[in-house]
Amino acid sequence: MTRPLYPTQEIGSLAKPSWQLKGQRGEPLDERARAEFSEWNDRLGFAAKDDPALRAFLGDASREVGAATVRDWGALFGLKFFETAGLDRVYDGEARRVEMYEYPIRQMHGFQFQGHVRSFDNKYYLKAAVTGEIRLDRPYHLEEFDFVRTHAAGEPKLPITGPYTLADWTYNEYYLARHPGWKTRAVRRSAQREFVVELARRALRPTLQALIARGCRVIQIDEPAAGTHPDEADLVVEGFNAATEGLDAEFSMHICFSDYRTLFPALLEAKRCRQWAWEFANRDIEGRDGYEILHVLREYGDTRDVGLGVLDVHRDEVETPPKVAERIGRAAKILGDPGRIWVNPDCGLRTRRLGIAYAKLTNMVEGARLARVEQDGRS
Amino acid sequence: MIVRTSLTGPFPRSEALVQATRDLDRGRTTREAVDGLFDAAEGDIVRLEDRLGVDAVTGGYLRWADLFRPFSQTWSGFTVGSEVTRWFETNTFYRQPILHAPPDRVPGAIARHLPAAARAHGAARAKVILPGPYTFAGLLDNRSGETVEALTHRLGRLLADEVRELRGLGYATFQFQEPLLVVRPPEGPAAESVVAAYRSLGTALEGAVSIVWTFFGDARPAFPLLGRLAVGVIGCDLTETDAETLPALPAGRGLGLGCIDPRTTFVEDPGDVARIVRAVNDRLRPASIWLGPGAPLDLLPWEPATRKVHLLASARAALAGPGGAA
Repeated sequence: MTRPLYPTQEIGSLAKPSWQLKGQRGEPLDERARAEFSEWNDRLGFAAKDDPALRAFLGDASREVGAATVRDWGALFGLKFFETAGLDRVYDGEARRVEMYEYPIRQMHGFQFQGHVRSFDNKYYLKAAVTGEIRLDRPYHLEEFDFVRTHAAGEPKLPITGPYTLADWTYNEYYLARHPGWKTRAVRRSAQREFVVELARRALRPTLQALIARGCRVIQIDEPAAGTHPDEADLVVEGFNAATEGLDAEFSMHICFSDYRTLFPALLEAKRCRQWAWEFANRDIEGRDGYEILHVLREYGDTRDVGLGVLDVHRDEVETPPKVAERIGRAAKILGDPGRIWVNPDCGLRTRRLGIAYAKLTNMVEGARLARVEQDGRS
Repeated sequence: MIVRTSLTGPFPRSEALVQATRDLDRGRTTREAVDGLFDAAEGDIVRLEDRLGVDAVTGGYLRWADLFRPFSQTWSGFTVGSEVTRWFETNTFYRQPILHAPPDRVPGAIARHLPAAARAHGAARAKVILPGPYTFAGLLDNRSGETVEALTHRLGRLLADEVRELRGLGYATFQFQEPLLVVRPPEGPAAESVVAAYRSLGTALEGAVSIVWTFFGDARPAFPLLGRLAVGVIGCDLTETDAETLPALPAGRGLGLGCIDPRTTFVEDPGDVARIVRAVNDRLRPASIWLGPGAPLDLLPWEPATRKVHLLASARAALAGPGGAA
């Protein structure tokens, strides 16, 4: 199937609406949550208004509907949010996931949660240690994917946390302990490599295999930790290659808020990665060209597709369609091939209120259309 | 061989404090209730440090949002950045201080931010942990118009005044956090500004225990510069620095060996630590050896940090056994 020039795609999670959070916890909906549900349902039509469960949810019996039904509505909401905004490739806004680390780790044996680490101020994240041999309980995200595929109009793209990020966000105990004596820098690196590759082979690959067997054709492997330790870029790649070895799907790798140049040339060895999906718009500020980093692909002769971040997920300011088109045009000029560009937000839009996120997405779609028109005019 | 032990940075918050501070942000508890929990937790940490037999207690610095926040919130010339910035190669972040004009200290401001439990334990037995002038100058957003070299020197002078005030309150052990010295070692005029900053500090630190602690990088390339700083002890992170090839410091200096790695929950072997300490002592003969975490323990949750910190006592015990007394 031929694709349009500058196709658009989602890249990650959306903020969860208050009705979903309350509904999943079994709390009664307040007026604000009811209004939010009705307003978005009028706009997107994600839930049938004559559904008795829906009437109960919006009436006095919201607590009786059950978390599973509310999660389904949340997933349908995310899906329709992207589809109605006009995106070509969609998912469910990761509506069923709490976050991208804890859930996958809980599907595996060999890990023990250790407690919370402060990220900054009074924000914390839960962190586990690998304390034994890794064993996958069962492949994950399968039911979630089935649901999306059943309800999506087009081909969905599934996001999944990559092995390097899962390892980097985990304390390495088991693999370090296998090396006797003082843990020198070389020993630590070797132990981390074993951890990343084992995680890829024992957990990620069987999960990807199961997803592909269910018809999942487009998979985004999220590696937000890739830029944390630039000297471990080869481990990011080893993990990616081990996770995807022998598998046939359209794989992409999402990295954000990193100095991508430090990851080269190591990234070039990611064998089955067809697309780099990076954040650019956040660094495209006055006096600085956020897309200049694309030159690195030209310098190394890399011709893979690019998932071009054109929406800054850390600012409320809604990018105008001409701004989006200008960014696409600038990137196309650097790459020298407009056919390699997919258009997307920098990262998940969960950082923004839903109304802002939706406005950004509709402008992104319109911006891609403008860029297409401009490109047609040139060719 | 003189062996000393102490914590080298903030201790993690307990799970109860994690919950309480989250509740505070969500309006589910009061500032007074959370303050009471902080006070109790600082007291717990001082008692833990006491049990471990450390030579200078810290109280955990649990209230410090990051290394710079008490300064950027109280000293003149600063505002606190709204975006968060990655703290070296970790998955933790800090708010970058923004410097709009040459900074000046506010008397009494930093003293109020030091853990009260450590002071109550006896200021003379407490360790004050402050940002080093090079790391402070290098990690802030400098919009003051002053060069980074001049700023490094100025911060050295201001921190010297801070030390004088704190010594007046009875504090006698001071540690300056300088990860940037080994992650991005200064050269030329930048290096000279660091030496000048510590010369200013040295006059204020005379007669006190003074420590520069480096972490997150290999300290060996920076040793020629570190040896020129007017402090008594130079600390390095043994996760990043190979102890076997550590260069010598000028005579009379103490050496800090960061033997607990907060990047893993794996507990180090006290026998391994004792072997390293003995080898370093036999080869370099430092005036003293300070054992502590290589980098701040708040990269760990509270429970594994508590488990790992016992290494300070067990390594000391191992050193007191056959082969060398601590």
